[in-house]
Amino acid sequence: MAENRHIGLSDAGRYEIRIEGRISPRWAPWFGGMSLTAADDGTTVLSGPVADQAALHGVLTRIRDLGLALVSVTRLDAD
Amino acid sequence: MGPLLTTKLHVPRRRRGVVARSRLGELLGRGDEAALTLVSAPAGFGKTTLLTEWLAGAEERSIAWLSLDERDDDPVVFWAYLISALQTAVAGVGSSALAVLREPHASMDEVLASLINDLDAVPDDVVLVLDDYHVITARDVHERMALLLERLPPHVHLVIATRADPPLPLARLRARGELVEVRAADLRFTTAETARYLTESMGLALNAEHVAALDARTEGWIAALQLAALSMRGRDDVAGFITGFAGDDRYVVDYLVEEVLQRQPDDVRDFLLQTSILSRLSGPLCDGVVGGDGGTTMLERLDRANLFLVPLDDRRHWYRYHHLFADVLQARLLAERPESIPELHRRAGDWFAENGEPAEAVRHALTGGDPERAADLVELAMPAARQNRQETTLRHWFSQLPEHVLRGRPVLRAGYAGAILVHGELDGVEEHLREAERWLDEIGVRATGGAGAEDAVVRAVRSQVAVYRAAQARLTGDLQATTRHARRVLELAGDDEHLVRGSAAGLLGLAYWTAGDLDDAHRWWTESSAQLRRAGHHSDTLGVSIALADIALARGRLREAETVHRSGLTAAFRHGGSVLRGAADMYVGLSEVALERNELAAAREHLAASAALGDGAGLPQNRHRSRLATARLRAAGGDLDGAVDLLDEAEHVYVGDMFPDVRPIAAVRARMCLARGRVDEAFDWAGKRALSPEDPLSYLHEFEHATLARILLAQHELSGDPTCLTRATELLERLRHVAQEGMRTGSVVQLSVPLALAHRAGGDVPRALATLERALTLAEPEGYVRVFLDEGQAMTSLLEVLATREGTRPYLRRLLAAGPGPVTAAAGRQALVEPLSARELDVLRLLDTDLDGPDIARRLFVSVNTVRTHTKNLYAKLGVNNRRAAVRRGRDLGLLTAAGGRAVSTAVVP
Repeated sequence: MAENRHIGLSDAGRYEIRIEGRISPRWAPWFGGMSLTAADDGTTVLSGPVADQAALHGVLTRIRDLGLALVSVTRLDAD
Repeated sequence: MGPLLTTKLHVPRRRRGVVARSRLGELLGRGDEAALTLVSAPAGFGKTTLLTEWLAGAEERSIAWLSLDERDDDPVVFWAYLISALQTAVAGVGSSALAVLREPHASMDEVLASLINDLDAVPDDVVLVLDDYHVITARDVHERMALLLERLPPHVHLVIATRADPPLPLARLRARGELVEVRAADLRFTTAETARYLTESMGLALNAEHVAALDARTEGWIAALQLAALSMRGRDDVAGFITGFAGDDRYVVDYLVEEVLQRQPDDVRDFLLQTSILSRLSGPLCDGVVGGDGGTTMLERLDRANLFLVPLDDRRHWYRYHHLFADVLQARLLAERPESIPELHRRAGDWFAENGEPAEAVRHALTGGDPERAADLVELAMPAARQNRQETTLRHWFSQLPEHVLRGRPVLRAGYAGAILVHGELDGVEEHLREAERWLDEIGVRATGGAGAEDAVVRAVRSQVAVYRAAQARLTGDLQATTRHARRVLELAGDDEHLVRGSAAGLLGLAYWTAGDLDDAHRWWTESSAQLRRAGHHSDTLGVSIALADIALARGRLREAETVHRSGLTAAFRHGGSVLRGAADMYVGLSEVALERNELAAAREHLAASAALGDGAGLPQNRHRSRLATARLRAAGGDLDGAVDLLDEAEHVYVGDMFPDVRPIAAVRARMCLARGRVDEAFDWAGKRALSPEDPLSYLHEFEHATLARILLAQHELSGDPTCLTRATELLERLRHVAQEGMRTGSVVQLSVPLALAHRAGGDVPRALATLERALTLAEPEGYVRVFLDEGQAMTSLLEVLATREGTRPYLRRLLAAGPGPVTAAAGRQALVEPLSARELDVLRLLDTDLDGPDIARRLFVSVNTVRTHTKNLYAKLGVNNRRAAVRRGRDLGLLTAAGGRAVSTAVVP
C-alpha cells in the first residue's frame, strides 16, 4: 500500500485561512497550533501546517462554532 | 440501545425576558405547509430560543424534541433517540421500529419503513425538532434522513436547527416549496429588537446612542448582546464600557468574555475554566474534576448569575454551558494552562468510568491524549456496546486508537475485526485477525498451562478469531473456508458458550444448504437451534426454524415443515408478554404449507394472522416472504395481475439475508408471466440471467433452471419447434436426476410434473404417465395438491387417464375433484372463501354493462343504497376495489361470460 501513496489533496500541507475581525494570538492552540497574524485590512490570518484534510476541516469547524466569518482558505505551495 | 438520556428529549425551558419576535413566528408558521423547516445559523443566534418560544405559542399539536450531541453520530443511537422523541409526542409510535432496532443485524431500511408506516397512521399534526443537527456527520444517517423527508406524511413536519446546512436535498425541497428557511440574516436582532432586549428584558438604562453603538458593534448577534448586557449589569460606568467596547476591534465574544471573567471572583473563574472540558455538568462530576465538594453550590450560583448555564433537566441536576461560551472558556484554558488539561480529562474519565458511563470515559481518555487508558476502557466497554449494537461507536473508538496501542491487545484486535465485519465490510479485517493470531501463536509457544484467568482470555480470543474468520470467509463467499473455520469454532468453544456454538453450527448449516447437501444442513441447523435456545436467543431460533422448514420443503416433507412452524409459533408466544420477533414468519410458513395442500382458506387465514401481528413481529425477510406467499395465493385464486403487483412489492422490500436465495422472486415472476401467456417476457428474464439448458446444475439454481425448462415448453407450444421440447425435456431429466441424488424429494415432485407434461407434448403418453405416477407416489403421503393443480387442463387429462386405470385411488379423486386449474370456473368458484349471493351476482353482471348506479337500481327494483351495499360486499368478496377490477375478476372466476366473445383465458391479460 505504502508505495502507492502520492502527494495529493489528502496530505499534509501549509494553509492560510483568513477570517474577518481581530482574533487574539492567544487562540493559536485552539486552532491546532496555527499562528495568528493581524492583517492591515482588519482581518486575521491563521497560517501553518495542517496534518491532512480532516485536520483542516477541524479548524474550519472551530471557526464556524465561534461564529467567525470565513474570508478565504488558501493552500500554500509546498516548501 | 443502552439507557436513554431523557434530558435530550425535553423541550428546553422557556427563558425569562425573551424578546417577542412575531416576524419570525410568522415565517415558522409557514412550516405547517412544508416538509422541512431549516433554522440554519452560527452559534449564539438564538435558534433554540426561537423554536422554544414558537412551540410554546403554537396551537395544539404534538411536539417531539431532540437535542443532538456528538454521541448521536451513530445510526443506531440516532434513530433510537429520534423514535423515542416521537414517542414523547405520540404514544407508541415507532415501537415496531424500535423493536427492529434492538435486533442484531437489523436493517435500517426496515426501521425507517416501519417508522414511516406508523407516522402515516398518526391522526394529528406532529412537529419533530432536531436541535444541533450539525453534530451529525455519519453519511448513513443523512441518507436515511433524506429518505424520511422524501416519504414524510403531510401531517408530519420536521424542524432542523443547525450551524451548517445539512447534506439533505434542500434544493429539491426548495423548488417544490417544501422548505421554510430561517437563516442568520433573519435571526439577527433588528435595532428595535436590540433596544427592547437591552432596556426591557435586561432592564438596562441606556439611551438611543448607546443602543445604536451596541447594535453596530454586535451586528445583532444575540450571544454578543447577552454577554454585553452581563458585563454592564451592576456597572457604574456603563457609558465608559460602551465606548471601550465600541472602540475595540477585537473578536466580540473574546472581548466580552474577558470583561465578564474579569468581574468574577477567582474561585468562579477557576471553576469555569476547569469545567469547560465537560460536555455536561453535575455537582458530583464537577467535584470529581475540580476537587472539593462545592460543585452543586457553584452550579446553582452560576445558574442564578445567568452565566450561560443551560439546565438539562427539571431537577437542575445536569447542566451544560452555552456552546459558544464553553468554546471560549476551553480556548482560554488551552492558552493559559495547557499542562492541566490531560489531568482534568483523566479525572473526568475516572468519574464517568466509576459512574457507569464507559462511553463518556473513553471519550475523555481519547481527548485527554491517553490512548492506553482509552484502550483499557474500550476493552471494558466492548461487551455492553456490542450487545447494544453500537457498532459505529465501537468502530469510531477503535479507529482513534493508535497502532502502537493496539499492538499486544488481541482482544481489541479481534473486536476491531468484528466491528468492521458487522458492517459487511472487509477492509482491515485480515490485518487485525492476523495480528490477533500472531499473539495467539506466541502465547502458544510461551506458556502451556498458565494461570487460569490468562487461559480464559486466550481461549476467548482464540474462539473469537475463529468466529470472525468464518464470518470473513462467508462474506467473501468462500464456502469451504466458512466450513473449516466454523468447525474450528466448535472445537475451541466451551460447552457452555451456547451463542458461539449456535452461530458456528448455523454457519455450517448454511454452507451445506447452499451446497445442496440437505441432510447435513438439517443436522447443523437443528444443532444451531438447540444452542441458540440455550443461549436465550429465541428470536434467532425462529430464524433457524425458517431454514429448517425451507429444507423440509425441499426434501418433500410438508408435514415436517408444518410441525417446525407450529412449534416455532408456540415458542414465539411463550416468552414474556410480547410476541417474539419471527412469529409473523411462522404464520407465513404455515400458509405456504396450506397452499401446497390447496387449503386456500387456511392459507389466507395464516397470512391474515401474520399481517395482524405487524411488521415488528416479523424478521427482516418476512417483508418479502409474506408478499411472495400472498402473491402465490392470489395466483392460485386466479388473480394473476394482483399476484404480479405483489411480486413487484416483494422485490422492492427485498432484504438479502444469509440464506441461499433458492427461489428468486424474479424467477417466480417469470413463471407468472408464463401463466399470463407472456412467454416473451419470461424469455427475456432467462436471457438476462444468462441461463442455458446446458449449464452445469446446482441446487442453488434449481428453481431458475426449472423455470427455464417451463419457458422452453411454452415456446414449443407456441411455435411447435421440436428443439425447444427436446432441450426442455433433457434439462428436466437432468434436474430431476440431480435432485434424486441429493435426496430432495420435494424438488423431484416439482420437477416431475413439467417433465410428465413434456413427455405428453412429445406424444409419449406412457412415459408421461409413468413419470406422473412416480411423482404421485412421492407426493401422496404428504398431501401435495397445488403442484398438480397449477398445470391446468393438460395435467387434468393425464390424471383422468390414471383415474380410469385405478379409479378407486382416493388421492387421484381428490386431485380431480379439486379442479383443473385457476382459469376455469370450477377452480375459480372454489377460490372464493365466501361465494357471491344470487343478488350480488345480479349486480356483478350489471356492472359488466354501461349502466350506472341508478340504472342498475331501477333494473333490479331496489334503491341506489341497496345497490351500493351489494357492490361493497361483492368487492370485498372478490378482493377488489373498483368496478373494472370486479368485472375482470368475475370473468377470471367464470362468474361472467366473457364479453364480445373473448376467450376466458385472454381476459386475464388486459
